[in-house]
Amino acid sequence: MSPMTAATVELHESGDAALRVVAVSDDSERNWSTVHRLAQWLEFAGAEGVHGAVPTYDSVLVEFDPCATSARQVGAYVRMGLRQLDSDGIPARIPREFDVPVVYGGPYGPDLESVAAQQQLSPEGIIALHSAKTYVIRCLGAPAGSPMMDGPDFPFPVPRLKDPRLSVPAGAVAVAGRQAVIAPATAPGGWCVIGQTPLGLLNIATEPLVPYLPGDVLRFRPIPAEEFSVYAGQELRAVQ
Amino acid sequence: MNSTLTILQPGNSVVTDLGRVRGPQYGLPVNGALDQFSARAANILAGNDDNAALIEITALDFRLQTDADLLVSVTGAAVTLTVGGRECQQWEPVSVRAGEILAIRGMTGGLRTYLAIRGSVSAPLLLGSCAPDTVVGFGLRLLEGTRLTALTSTGPIRQPYFDLPLFRLGLERPQFGTELVVEVTDGPDIEEFGGSAELLFNSSYTISARSNHIGLRLGGELPERMSSTELLSRGVPVGAIEVPSRDELLVLHRGRGVTAGYPVLAVVTSQSLDLLAQARPGHTVTFRKTSVAAATAAHRASMHRLESLRRAVATVFGLLGIGEPAHWTDLAPAIGS
Repeated sequence: MSPMTAATVELHESGDAALRVVAVSDDSERNWSTVHRLAQWLEFAGAEGVHGAVPTYDSVLVEFDPCATSARQVGAYVRMGLRQLDSDGIPARIPREFDVPVVYGGPYGPDLESVAAQQQLSPEGIIALHSAKTYVIRCLGAPAGSPMMDGPDFPFPVPRLKDPRLSVPAGAVAVAGRQAVIAPATAPGGWCVIGQTPLGLLNIATEPLVPYLPGDVLRFRPIPAEEFSVYAGQELRAVQ
Repeated sequence: MNSTLTILQPGNSVVTDLGRVRGPQYGLPVNGALDQFSARAANILAGNDDNAALIEITALDFRLQTDADLLVSVTGAAVTLTVGGRECQQWEPVSVRAGEILAIRGMTGGLRTYLAIRGSVSAPLLLGSCAPDTVVGFGLRLLEGTRLTALTSTGPIRQPYFDLPLFRLGLERPQFGTELVVEVTDGPDIEEFGGSAELLFNSSYTISARSNHIGLRLGGELPERMSSTELLSRGVPVGAIEVPSRDELLVLHRGRGVTAGYPVLAVVTSQSLDLLAQARPGHTVTFRKTSVAAATAAHRASMHRLESLRRAVATVFGLLGIGEPAHWTDLAPAIGS
């Protein structure tokens, strides 16, 4: 997150206990940097009544206690935060790197074939594109602190499943639209699952529960199905 | 002194609190008691902090036995509450003697009942909250034979004459009917629905059986999104109303995934979320538009009622010597068993 001038934002009321802040510049990197730096500022500043912030790509949802504060007060506070971002500049954290072994296709990636057909590529072509790129973790999302990333360089956006699955296993490596993700926990899901990592992402005995933060980078590495059991039970850790 | 509560009949019950407010920034839903007003009231009536761990009982009958004297309170959906076979009042403090069985049966007019125990019960914490999270597999779901540790024992306070109810703290109880009026404010993406957004206020909706703590699904006339561009995932507030399919509205509740890619049509107010927590499949909902300012004022007014209750409880407990063991020793023979 290189320091850059904060993007212009719009504030949208989102009920009596939340405010959506959207960065609206033409530069998606700048928007992303703005909402994440704002979320960090809100956490460090610890304003009375503000529960926390959920930053994603171009927006941050600020949740608050409507008895202790109000959308109007939180909005004024956010504007103050943005001015401080411009003058102070929160020092950029050095991104950590993660290496994620993935078994693609077969029972591990039931949608690999259909994604390949939709992209007019071979399954091998999908695997090559998916494992070629270095991904920036854009935000922690649902479920369970999923690392949400910009998608691989596929020719077309990937449509979501028409009938979402009731249960997608932990470790599922999935794509949808122009986004990519790994599922830390078993949950329902409508994204196309192209592979699975044997590594565990979520550990509820530790804080934080997942080892990565927005801004960290991640690479997928294809492994043969026989190696799944070699990694099983291990946790994802940053590369030293 | 610690005491042990043994669950004889768990029904569908968990230990929870007001929620994991630090969860959403880590991608975890807030969860916690779905009817926040009833949960707060239960804790206040038991002399606890609002956020103390308590038992949330959903729909089914529940029984526990204690090995020490307790002071408890039961709020939320109307039930038949008995202690040692005696019928007791909800929404008032209730004494339970060592060895007695507390039973909650025949829940009507709502879906969730709260049982708070003075001094609270011990439960594991994740990010500062004991609220169960079904997705990450955290939390204390009660089973037959589960033993809970209550952190305080409270000597018996009982009307010596015919066991008449001792307390009359008089909190106005919320009413949970079968036809709910749910207040909403405009959602941040209301423009995506064009003129069809008004449909939300022109008809009634029926709650589907596929509803749970993550969200309620409602059938009825559905507003329609005008555009079909893929949205980037964004944080969604608890109470967000989305139209993810052609069949149903989705109203997200406290177990909601923190991010989603659907436009938010409207947002249910904090107060009405408590009402929805008590709604059963088949009940009907009509939505009424309000403003954020009016919703905030209404929420603050109900919290103010709880503050008055807290003061009343402090006064009454002070007069009865609850929480002052030395004082209590003097009083015990007079109330006599």
